[in-house]
Order: sequence, then structure tokens, then C-alpha cells
Amino acid sequence: MTENAILQVGDTVPDFTLTTYEPTTKGFGEYKLSEAMKNGKWTMLFFYPADYTFG
Amino acid sequence: MGCEVVTVSADTQFVHLAWQREEKDLENVTFHMGSDRNGDLAKQFGVWNGGFCLRGTYLISPEGKLMNSEVNFLNLGRNIDETMRKFKANIYLGKKPNEGCPSKWKDDGDTTLTPGPEMVGRVHQAHN
Repeated sequence: MTENAILQVGDTVPDFTLTTYEPTTKGFGEYKLSEAMKNGKWTMLFFYPADYTFG
Repeated sequence: MGCEVVTVSADTQFVHLAWQREEKDLENVTFHMGSDRNGDLAKQFGVWNGGFCLRGTYLISPEGKLMNSEVNFLNLGRNIDETMRKFKANIYLGKKPNEGCPSKWKDDGDTTLTPGPEMVGRVHQAHN
């Protein structure tokens, strides 16, 4: 994959880490893809334009 | 359910907190609310729209493979039933990779298709 190529279905997603707010604990945290993979979990990414908008 | 849902926007985690605390529709959510301040992740998926993210939904398998993608423009919301249908189909097909889930497939037990010579020109019969 070239450096700036957009990911396509079937591609392996490079590992990433996002800073998060965790509603379950009311605290801040981190989401790391490789961590979810290690636990055998699927990851659903749900992008949206901005807080205070609809889903 | 075996799936971690991560919502992602360019807002900070502080704004996520304020929004979740204020908005009644978000009262009982359990998903992770990710902050992609500079759109680094959104750019990789092609949904960075000059400062904010388009409504993109992506499903990544436990092996790290991108299995599903859907992008709606800013003013079109997503249908959770369809998202769930595709998620369930991916789980099912992970166990039975030789089958196919047609458009009307909704859940385990529904008719699937197994591509082969006998199905060429006979999808209608296989379906009904």
C-alpha cells in the first residue's frame, strides 16, 4: 500500500490509537486497534461530523 | 457481542463528555467516543472533509481486516438495522466462507447462496 492510499475493503488496517471519552466510566481513555484484536474483538468505526449533531 | 463500537469525530474528548452528559439520546450509551483532532484516522479511510468527518461506517475483523465500508454524506443518517445486518452477515460468513448472504439475508437461519455451476442463471430458483 502506498503511503497515502485510502483503505479499501479487504485491506489490513494499520494499528491506531484514539484518545477517548468512556461513557461507562465517565473518564478518559484510549482505544487501540491491536488491543481489541488481541481480545478477539471486531471493531466498528462510526465517523460523524461533529458532536451535537445526529447519527 | 464481540464487537467494540467506536464513534469518531474531530471533537475533543472534553466535548464528547459534555455532549454525552447533556444529550438525552446518549444517556445509556456504552460505546467508546474517540477523538480524531487532526483527522489522521479519517484521512486513512477517505472521510476527512476539510475539518470534519463524513458519516463513514467501517467494520474491522479481529484479524485487522477491513470487511465493510459505508459512507453517507453529511445530511444523511445511518440505519442501525442495516449496519447490524451487515455485521451479523460478516460473522456468519467468517464461519462459512464458501456461502454468500444475499440482500434479503437478515440473520442466521435465513437462506444463503453457495456459488457454483448449478447456480449460473438460476439464482431465482436458489433464492425461493
